[in-house]
Amino acid sequence: MNDPTINNRINQTLDVIIIGAGFSGLGMAIQLQQANINNIAILERDKEVGGCWRDNQYPGAACDIPSNLYSFSFAPNPNWSRAYSSSHEILNYIKSLVSDFALQRYIRFNTNVNDITFDDNTGLWIIKTDTKKIGSSETLKARSVVIASGPLANCSFPNIPGLEEYKGHKIHSARWDHEVDFSDKKVALVGTGASAVQIIPELVQTAKHLTVFQRTPAWVLPRLDAETPPWISTLFRKIPGTQKLTRQALFALHEVGALGLIWNSPLTSIMQRVALKHLQHQVKDSWMQRQLTPNFRIGCKRVLMSSEYYPALQQPNCKLITWPIAKMSEKGIRCVEGIEHQFDCIVFATGFDIGTQTAPFSVKGVGGRDLGEDWKRGAQAYKSINVSGYPNLFLTFGPNSGPGHNSALVYVESQLHYAVQGIQRILNEGLARLDVRERAQEKYNIQIQKRLTKTNWNSGCKSWYLTKDGFNATMFPGFATQYSAQMRQFEDKDYLRVSV
Amino acid sequence: MASIDLEKMRQKIKCTQWALVDFDWESPGADKITAEQWPKLKTFMADLMWIEHVGARGFAALAKSAPTDNLREIYTYFHAEEQRHANAEMALMKRWGMLDENESPVPSANLRLVIEWLERYADDTPFNLLATLIPMLEVTLDGALCKYLLETVEDPLCHEVFAKINDDESRHLGVGFSVMEMQGKGPHYIAFIEMLGRLLDPRMMAGALVYFPLLSSMRDNLIAMGMQEEKLYKTMDKFKKIGGRTAQGRRNPWFQLLHYHGTIMVDRSNHFYHMPVDMLVALSNKIPQRLLPSQPGWVAELTHKPTA
Ligand SMILES: Cc1cc2nc3c(=O)[nH]c(=O)nc-3n(C[C@H](O)[C@H](O)[C@H](O)COP(=O)(O)OP(=O)(O)OC[C@H]3O[C@@H](n4cnc5c(N)ncnc54)[C@H](O)[C@@H]3O)c2cc1C
Repeated sequence: MNDPTINNRINQTLDVIIIGAGFSGLGMAIQLQQANINNIAILERDKEVGGCWRDNQYPGAACDIPSNLYSFSFAPNPNWSRAYSSSHEILNYIKSLVSDFALQRYIRFNTNVNDITFDDNTGLWIIKTDTKKIGSSETLKARSVVIASGPLANCSFPNIPGLEEYKGHKIHSARWDHEVDFSDKKVALVGTGASAVQIIPELVQTAKHLTVFQRTPAWVLPRLDAETPPWISTLFRKIPGTQKLTRQALFALHEVGALGLIWNSPLTSIMQRVALKHLQHQVKDSWMQRQLTPNFRIGCKRVLMSSEYYPALQQPNCKLITWPIAKMSEKGIRCVEGIEHQFDCIVFATGFDIGTQTAPFSVKGVGGRDLGEDWKRGAQAYKSINVSGYPNLFLTFGPNSGPGHNSALVYVESQLHYAVQGIQRILNEGLARLDVRERAQEKYNIQIQKRLTKTNWNSGCKSWYLTKDGFNATMFPGFATQYSAQMRQFEDKDYLRVSV
Repeated sequence: MASIDLEKMRQKIKCTQWALVDFDWESPGADKITAEQWPKLKTFMADLMWIEHVGARGFAALAKSAPTDNLREIYTYFHAEEQRHANAEMALMKRWGMLDENESPVPSANLRLVIEWLERYADDTPFNLLATLIPMLEVTLDGALCKYLLETVEDPLCHEVFAKINDDESRHLGVGFSVMEMQGKGPHYIAFIEMLGRLLDPRMMAGALVYFPLLSSMRDNLIAMGMQEEKLYKTMDKFKKIGGRTAQGRRNPWFQLLHYHGTIMVDRSNHFYHMPVDMLVALSNKIPQRLLPSQPGWVAELTHKPTA
């Protein structure tokens, strides 16, 4: 529910408007608040905070980076119940950020931003929203905008002919239908990515029969999950330094992983061998092994973590299908081997629309230039956070900020820190525009793209990291430490300043 | 004839899909199979279906070793399409009362050995060999078998189903011959030496030991069923004509080798080849059932049921 105070302030010119109340948006508000910038608002299209952790409540949903690392360093939680916590627990953690940092007063729910335009004359962003509740649109003003609308916030259905023809129940993993009783149902699950490997071991236990449709197998590493013994929580509570140390150790461990996952090194071969052994150990049938063996180098696509996935696929009530899908029909899925597989219900664990060539909504910068248009051939930004021609605008999870090996929140924290420095300059110096120079952005991207050519992501496989033309607009080609280092200092020389 | 545009072909393949449910398997006409035809047809259909299935496994191997993403996807589709043909042929057998509810045709000892060989080595077989061998088998065996079937069976559903199968096969051949021509690029002698190297691989030699008798016995089965030898020669000629239609195609040493082998295989007067191969056939038929290897997982995916 909206805090009444936000409705009183919303029509004034705000210092900062944050779009999205997930980890990034809430983290941004916390950081601004700590920098004494309080004339802010968070606009959230949903009726609750939590972002992707609110949306992804499918059975088995959990993080695949240990919770002690997949959480904010400035808000440690000594009570994580497991090494890799469930989505539910993560959502509760996000909710606790709202209460612990008194963020409720900033958040406006049911408010979907559909257009932001920079006013060249006043140096203000004009934000157009449609408000679900009132069913009307409104226009807000702010000096700065932070787009924290999430890298994986919009779910995508696969491009299968006849998708609409299917008359049974369709569920997307990111919009789970908790009302359905699967025990008497023949269920299909399309996709074998990060969400699928979490859902399958759960669904196979509840569904009458489960058929899994795989297009491309991924490399799967075992996930060493365990409950947190109570004494660890006690230790973390009593001596907070121990939790900090644990986090640092986990961070370092994941950084080492970058050597194998990002670049092709001897560690890559070792990791691939471990993944292959994991498969061979858990799956004995040679044909199934073959079906589940990827034909690309580990790291090229997202590496999955699960110790339960392969055993689940071999349950008597589960079947793996690797035939290409020809079309969907009224009763199910027709594959190219000529058989119509019929189901009561189809689960799509088919991921998200990734905005590598589009803006999340209409964004118009100086002189009416359009971000969607500018990004048509692949999104680009300066240090992933600012885009030339779009002053006073900050992005979280902007182009080339994605980690392949470490907690996304480590990257977000660096972005928040950088954005606060920029926003402080705008407010303290009374700037109408703080705009990154085009040349600086260009130089940065030439560097990034050059470094990307040497990574596993660009080694030939098709993945959601790349555009259709093979341009990588998503990943950061380096260690998290390098990313944080580049974000530590606000590069004044790379920015144009115009006073009000 | 210029090579086909493989990119367009991939799109076309995707747009021309069909399924077993597109046919009414209970429609009238099943009784057109005569009592005299029935037992021979049963053996014939079983052979045909197994050839499709073995071909499917060959395409699966090609999908792994294909040099481009596009070809990889095309072969992935062809793998599934050959499986569809085997499934449809099983559905026809079911319609004609040749199979029980959960029954699959029993493969001969020769077939069992080929299946086992494919299970072990198909994925290690040189791309160039498979990419030439499959079109040859499709033109000669598959082509001859289908043609013969349509000439002797009057069930209209059989004709409907095979119209679809033949459409698929013509696309398989279009791609197959194009790829064969692509292999004729580059210096002839290097390709030749490479081929020799591959042939000396013990796995390939073992392959020949199971493949030659299979082919021979299939040939003999066809003749025993009343097919004229002449027709087999013709299909072999067709392979030679299309595969060798361009200089580049003729430069592909695998094409030359397989064509040469095909020619002596259909010609029974070549005792030098047929005597030892006949001995291998006799020998494999003597292997006791219990000693034959168990069937791999991919065989279990066959079904005559249009829906699952
Ligand atoms: C299932 C899943 C598992 C993941 N697991 C991990 C993991 O283990 N480790 C890891 O590092 N990362 C993981 N990630 C990546 C994850 O996206 C990030 O870690 C992080 O949670 C993103 O937070 P965010 O706030 O930027 O985006 P989100 O959480 O997506 O939040 C964005 C918010 O913006 C709102 N919004 C969007 N558009 C508008 C609009 N136009 N107007 C108003 N509001 C809008 C959305 O409703 C949402 O609430 C996972 C992602 C998913 C989907």
